Amino acid sequence: MSVHGRSTPCSLRALGMLTALGRGSDEIWPRLVAGEPAHLTVRDDLVPGRPLVVGAVTGELPRLPRGLARYACRNNSMTLAALEQIEDAVRDVAAAAGRRRVAVVMGSSTSGVSDAEAAIRHQHLTGVLAPSFHYEQLEFGGASAFVAKLFGLGGPAFTLSTACSSGARALASARALLALGIVDAVLAGATDTLCGLTTNGFSALQVVSDEITNPLSRNRNGITLGEGSALFLVTREAEGIQLLGVGESSEAHHMSAPDPHGAGAEAAMRAALADAGVPPDAIAYVSLHGTGTALNDAMECRAIARTFPSPPPCSSAKPLVGHTLGAAGAIEAGFCWLMLREQDSGRLALIPHAYDGERDPELAAIPLAAKGMQVAAGPVLTNAFGFGGNNCSLVLARGAA
Amino acid sequence: MIPAVVRGWSAWSPGREDPAAWRAWARAPELLASEGCPDVQFLPAMLRRRCSPLARIMLETAYAACPAEERAQVRTVFASRHGNINESIPMLDRLAERQPISPTKFSHTVHNAQAGLFSIAADNRQASSSVAAQQDTFACGYLEALTHLQRDPRSAVLLVMADIPLAPTFAKLVEEPAATYGLALLLAAGGEGPTLGFETAASDAVVPARAWPDALEFLRWLLVDEEPLVLGAGACRWRWERHTPSSA
Repeated sequence: MSVHGRSTPCSLRALGMLTALGRGSDEIWPRLVAGEPAHLTVRDDLVPGRPLVVGAVTGELPRLPRGLARYACRNNSMTLAALEQIEDAVRDVAAAAGRRRVAVVMGSSTSGVSDAEAAIRHQHLTGVLAPSFHYEQLEFGGASAFVAKLFGLGGPAFTLSTACSSGARALASARALLALGIVDAVLAGATDTLCGLTTNGFSALQVVSDEITNPLSRNRNGITLGEGSALFLVTREAEGIQLLGVGESSEAHHMSAPDPHGAGAEAAMRAALADAGVPPDAIAYVSLHGTGTALNDAMECRAIARTFPSPPPCSSAKPLVGHTLGAAGAIEAGFCWLMLREQDSGRLALIPHAYDGERDPELAAIPLAAKGMQVAAGPVLTNAFGFGGNNCSLVLARGAA
Repeated sequence: MIPAVVRGWSAWSPGREDPAAWRAWARAPELLASEGCPDVQFLPAMLRRRCSPLARIMLETAYAACPAEERAQVRTVFASRHGNINESIPMLDRLAERQPISPTKFSHTVHNAQAGLFSIAADNRQASSSVAAQQDTFACGYLEALTHLQRDPRSAVLLVMADIPLAPTFAKLVEEPAATYGLALLLAAGGEGPTLGFETAASDAVVPARAWPDALEFLRWLLVDEEPLVLGAGACRWRWERHTPSSA
């Protein structure tokens, strides 16, 4: 039933990105390889009585155009800040393909809930919701509708919300839409905002760390939350950085804890490798989901040790930008994209694993990327595992360009 | 057009719970009740207790549309415009008063809570996505289901769409034909059932005013109407046509 077949190339042609490490590739890349968690901040306005270390986006965000006031929320302002970095490429592709032939697939676990929280606080004080609040800011579908309206696109526009795998899944859907032939380009990615709901929710689940997250350490005690946005322009060319493989699985295990054996994580990674047509040995680097919870790190290391007979160097970007939840899959795919773009003379400079260096001896042994480490270039794999046991792994590689 | 076979379907709204009742409704649509929720007795008590009203409707229709022997094998797409937002409002109220929220409530109101509950209840380890797209949620859920068939045509995809009218806090902010309903479609690349073609249509295609949510307009068309169906009020229109007339 496929128009183009499974071998349709999928080029991640341009990337706009915004995280605690900064705005845009040029600012983010040197800070990523430096591997210092120097850009995290402390916020005491999120969880009552509990100051939290977070990966917040700082500085002023762009305002939405006046005609899109119904969509004006922090989440969409972050999306706009990422889109401004690739605006020209988007307009060129939309002009060439036709606006009806460009789709939008966004991932988010928050959409504009931080603005809804403010609107409801206003209601508690005054009896009415804040007048600037519109439902389009809060509903998940508003995140993708905003992007389509911003560029006047007429292709399908939808949001995927599968918790912490949302961003990876948005890229997977983009690739499938291109293979289906229904559009010629997709704006795909994800944005998530630090808000009361997720910080209090994860805090109540007792998985938030008081210090900077410390993945794979014997001293790890939970996640550091973050926010940000990464948007890709995805097209059908064989050149440039390719989304080579996608692997998805569900866990049938628990709503808020992973299967301790890592069977779901393993299934997603194996499916992504098979889909990419790449043997485990060819993978040069793995970007860990690496949240710094006792359970995630234990099951993920186990799953990697089983999937890769001799695992490549791995690292988690969570200590640098926080766990950006629904955006994590897209942001960390973005970090892999940067790594591949910066590839030089057949060498890949790796994102170092920033932690206290006290490896938990109970974890399955996998090599960790040290600061300054370089390896022979090859495809890379990134993991995103979500609430409700929803997993997605992606394989990215540099094309023949 | 992109083809798919509707191998099975199931719909639910309060008091309207079997195919015969929906066939009658499709011939002569009448107001649907808005209060009520399926009892989902097939779920273990521990899971059932934690299901939101939306999750109950989604699991009820999912189980009814998909034969037991395939429930662990299908890939799933759960589509809902509003998801569990009604369940989130009390949590937002608590946050406004700087009160703690329940971790269980929090983890059972995420947009993919239904997907997680289905996966646990049916022991399903396949790919699953959860979609929202404002007034185009049903069509985009259908499209997302087609992308899963594209990725692997060998197994079926279960599309589940449901919504519940928004609670008063937000209801006046949204204009839409609201209803309490669920619709599940078992879509496959082959097998028994009507074959439908799907495509996006030019945005100037005429769309008559709709009395029902898109998913129910689709069901009505699937059960009685032979003319191609066009849905969508925004920049993108969605068009379905029947390849082989069948009694669904």
